[in-house]
Amino acid sequence: MNSIVVPAQRERNVLHTSLAFVRRHILAVYSLLFFAYLLLPIAVVVLFSFNHPAGKFNYTWQGFTWDNWIHWDGVPGIRSAIVLSLEIALIASLVATALGTLIALALVRYGFRGRAATNILIFLPLSTPEIVLGASLLTLFLNVTWLPLGFWTILIAHVMFCISFAVVTVKARLVGFDRHLEEAAMDLGANEWMTFQKVTLPLTAPAILAALLLCFAISIDDFVVTYFNSGASVTFPLFVWGAARIGTPPQVNVIGTAIFVVAVTLMLANVVLQRLRESKGAV
Amino acid sequence: MNFFHRHRGLTPYLLLGPGLLWLGVFFVVPLGYLAYQSLQSGNIDFGYAFTWSWGNYWNAIKDYHSQFVRSLEYAGIATALSLVVSYPVAYWIAFRGGRWKNLLLLFIVAPFFVTYLIRTLAWETILSDNGFVVNTLQSLHVLGQGDRLLATGTAVVAGITYNFLPFMALPLYVSLEQIDGALIEAAEDLYASKLHAFLRVTLPLSLPGIVAGTLLTFIPAAGDFINAQLLGSPENHMIGNVIQSKFLELTDYPAAAAMSFILMAAILVGVFAYARAVGTEQLTGTAV
Amino acid sequence: MTDQLTRRQLLERAALGGAAITVPGLLAACGGTSSKAGGSTTAHKLAKTLHFSNWPYYIDTKGQTFPSLMQFQKKTGVHVDYVQDINDNAGFFGKIQGPLSRGQSVHRDIIVLTDNDRYLALMIRKGWVEKLDKSAIPNIKNLIPVQQHPSFDPHRDYSLPWQSGMTGIAYNDKLTDPVLSVDELLESPKLKGKITCLNSMGDALTLVMLANGDDPTKVTDKAFNAAFNRIKKAVDSKQIRQFTGNDYAPPLARGDLTAAMSWSGDIAQLGNKHIHWNVPTAGGALWTDNMIIPKGGDVYTASVYMNFVYDPKVQGLMEAGDPKRKIVGISYIPPVAGAGEAAKAFNPEAASNVLIFPTKKMLDSVKLFDANALNNQKYLTQWQNLISA
Repeated sequence: MNSIVVPAQRERNVLHTSLAFVRRHILAVYSLLFFAYLLLPIAVVVLFSFNHPAGKFNYTWQGFTWDNWIHWDGVPGIRSAIVLSLEIALIASLVATALGTLIALALVRYGFRGRAATNILIFLPLSTPEIVLGASLLTLFLNVTWLPLGFWTILIAHVMFCISFAVVTVKARLVGFDRHLEEAAMDLGANEWMTFQKVTLPLTAPAILAALLLCFAISIDDFVVTYFNSGASVTFPLFVWGAARIGTPPQVNVIGTAIFVVAVTLMLANVVLQRLRESKGAV
Repeated sequence: MNFFHRHRGLTPYLLLGPGLLWLGVFFVVPLGYLAYQSLQSGNIDFGYAFTWSWGNYWNAIKDYHSQFVRSLEYAGIATALSLVVSYPVAYWIAFRGGRWKNLLLLFIVAPFFVTYLIRTLAWETILSDNGFVVNTLQSLHVLGQGDRLLATGTAVVAGITYNFLPFMALPLYVSLEQIDGALIEAAEDLYASKLHAFLRVTLPLSLPGIVAGTLLTFIPAAGDFINAQLLGSPENHMIGNVIQSKFLELTDYPAAAAMSFILMAAILVGVFAYARAVGTEQLTGTAV
Repeated sequence: MTDQLTRRQLLERAALGGAAITVPGLLAACGGTSSKAGGSTTAHKLAKTLHFSNWPYYIDTKGQTFPSLMQFQKKTGVHVDYVQDINDNAGFFGKIQGPLSRGQSVHRDIIVLTDNDRYLALMIRKGWVEKLDKSAIPNIKNLIPVQQHPSFDPHRDYSLPWQSGMTGIAYNDKLTDPVLSVDELLESPKLKGKITCLNSMGDALTLVMLANGDDPTKVTDKAFNAAFNRIKKAVDSKQIRQFTGNDYAPPLARGDLTAAMSWSGDIAQLGNKHIHWNVPTAGGALWTDNMIIPKGGDVYTASVYMNFVYDPKVQGLMEAGDPKRKIVGISYIPPVAGAGEAAKAFNPEAASNVLIFPTKKMLDSVKLFDANALNNQKYLTQWQNLISA
């Protein structure tokens, strides 16, 4: 009897464990596929940064070369464009996230008059077509003649349209926030500021980071509003759109790849530092 | 912080102040000017004058209602797709990401570091008529032999979905990451199946993220023009394209302004209806 | 009005010998450096910097530098602040009409707009440009005859060509036999869904009107509608895949497109020997990017610069480049007589490239679209409704 039962049992176990394996990991597999889909164009971009194009177009593979990486700023104007874009994206995302977080706190935690109006005000910039938004903002700046068009006007515009994104993102977190944790801290003797510092802020941190990333991405990629309010300054998207009329130089791919690599490296370094801190603080 | 205790009534206004002031000056004022423009009439040669020209609004609806509807349709499909595609990933990062969470979030926004035009060009290369993807779909009979993916409505929706993925994924993650795993365990301890626990615990708790993500995707997508311009044929053009051409090529600034307001009104109405459906607390947040 | 009187008085005094002009006097007459558009003057004083906005890749380059601009600086001491921020006539006009319509300066001395789009004629009609100082441009005599009396600026008072190009048909010889006529492009069933048309009304209608036997330089309603309907038919039958700007180039290179209505310079730049460009059998379009001085720009300095680029030797080098010195040329069509001859000394291969120095036969077969039709709101609306259905 045993010799007949045992093999069947073993097969069923194998089936079970493999199904369980798939079930446990299906999420991971799906997510990896998602990232593959997301980053597929980036792979193409990275690949073509090594392309050796005949003529000024970089559309078909002609041959491998390191030239574009060595002469990454060989195209006149590209270096100042990317520097400007990075500066503005950095500052705009910080300012917008800060302002947006404050607004989100107010909206979620306090009753006040005009909260419906505030909500509408937050959603309106998202729904305004960029071209009329950019042109109308330009009209405002034209009436303020002491402020020249350029870095500051671009920055102001970017902060303006990023605030809404920051508010909505941080609000998604604050809505489900467990106030009991803060109450507990206060019961244990912390005052409002300490509670905010030690409880609220750390628990909201992931949302703030997400808002920062989102605002940075929006700012570094913005074209239409920037175009109208940039005066004679050229940001990276403006440069690329302009260059594309004749042909995108491979250096554009190089810079895109470089930013990605630098950002990933910074994040990885952060992860490693965290690990070290954790192992040290394990006491 | 006795100041805040005594002036509790002031706190919300202090928190709102800086951000709303920024928006007030740099958004509301330009918007007011836009409203003024929308009631003007005239042309570039002889100038524009304010004439209470409500006809601009009427004409916009009369002549371009199909583009309005198409825009809401494309944006809606893209939002739904984006939600379905991003939710599992946001879940995975939130619950299984561990120390790699932030790195994974970075990967989600990474495509934005390469300008829109470049990543669209890359997609055009991947989805080329003679490329691997189209050939595979043709051999699987998903696509007819002479069919293509580019320059179609499908390409436009795909483009919108792809380019707005971070706006869905990040808010979803933000909301999911907050959920205490213990709650799910508790549900399972009480004999709920994994699916049941998900539907009755996780999903409702992630609703703020779903609402945030869908709004951040749908609202800007409805006014998008560039995906339709590069990836679509003339019959796939959206209201954003019409506004663009009214403004730039036809220098008909009043018409462009009126159309923009109609779009904004349509979106706001949609948002209110949506808020009603999901319950306003998710949208506006509960007051203490 | 008062400005003009002041300027005339200034000229009279200058004719008397210059000694009567003092710098403060000049500044007072010029109106200084206000942001109001008063125009800097014909006072024959070079500015320190020339602000020149142009299209990208539209000037000679050597690595990171612009050789012709450096040459200009050496010769006159004027530094050229060269910004490549124009990538679309409509977009750029949309950006500058704000300040210009309020009488404000756009802080540029020279900008470049195309003549087969409405904006160049519009700028001149609205008076948003300064008159050239022809006394500073003796080289204007080198302007090729066909460019001397365009309808939007009959006496060349406000504009001078920068570079020209032609519009025709490009095709991929790996995918098709030569596509040489508009008839074939719009109606051959073999090309269905594999061709694109340009979204520029001036270009598309010129080609189709010529194919219909009509004259695009003097557009009538009947001719317009005939050409328009022909294009509309091609859209409805899905012959035309998309309306494009220069974004036809990637799909053409990839093989997603078999043929495309396209601009000559782009094809020269593709470097793909399977892609050929031709003027269509019935004729093609000629377009020219023109230099203009927006209101508030420095007229004298801008004029001196224009004179500099109209020297055939300078233009020849800018156009053809010099492979020995690693100078990359513009490779469009120069408007300066004698540039071709001069180019032979630097780059004989480029000098014999008919896309850069076209034959007389080619030049005779390309036409410029009627400037009045370009600003006809009815036509424009009809066209925009077609391409943005």
